[in-house]
Amino acid sequence: MAADLAEIKGMIEAALPGAEVEVIDKTGTGDHLRATVVAAQFAGLSRIAQHRLVKAAVKERFDDGTIHALSLKTGEPG
Amino acid sequence: MADAELKEKIEELIAANPVLLFMKGTPEMPRCGFSMRVVQVLDSLDVEYGAIDVLPALQPLREVTAEISDWQTFPQLYVKGELLGGADIVEEMFDSGELAEVLGVEQPESAPAAAAPPAQSPPLQIE
Repeated sequence: MAADLAEIKGMIEAALPGAEVEVIDKTGTGDHLRATVVAAQFAGLSRIAQHRLVKAAVKERFDDGTIHALSLKTGEPG
Repeated sequence: MADAELKEKIEELIAANPVLLFMKGTPEMPRCGFSMRVVQVLDSLDVEYGAIDVLPALQPLREVTAEISDWQTFPQLYVKGELLGGADIVEEMFDSGELAEVLGVEQPESAPAAAAPPAQSPPLQIE
């Protein structure tokens, strides 16, 4: 079952209001995604903490097997 | 709920090894492209590190690292007792020079991506 990229993007945006989120399908198979997330909420957090926030937002889709891999690039705006 | 004995053992290993990599396979024979990428970064920095092959006990180790660091995927690189990140973070920090700084080593002159062609086959990666 392929992930709905818009849904994944929406889940991240809901967890991090105001974030700029881009989600792409790396392999064309719909289960290995790459997301770029720029959020003010990341200020002062280590990268691992930033990634945890994003992964927690989409945990449900990992748990149900929709997504197998989500590679992340996170940053603060500006 | 993670196995308490295994968790204790892993916590001891993390405390005892300033640079510790949990990976699929071994540094000599990585069994996953992401693990291989982290090994290549560490090798290019010429840093001493411990490596643990998670494959023989993948599920129990997932449960343990979920409790210790709230992270369940491998590879995982621990530096001075803290989870630094997986392949994405390690590569990003290597490229920016932050990893060399955190590890207290010199950044090599050229990043591996721009370095001489790899002697072995490159990591499998489908883009």
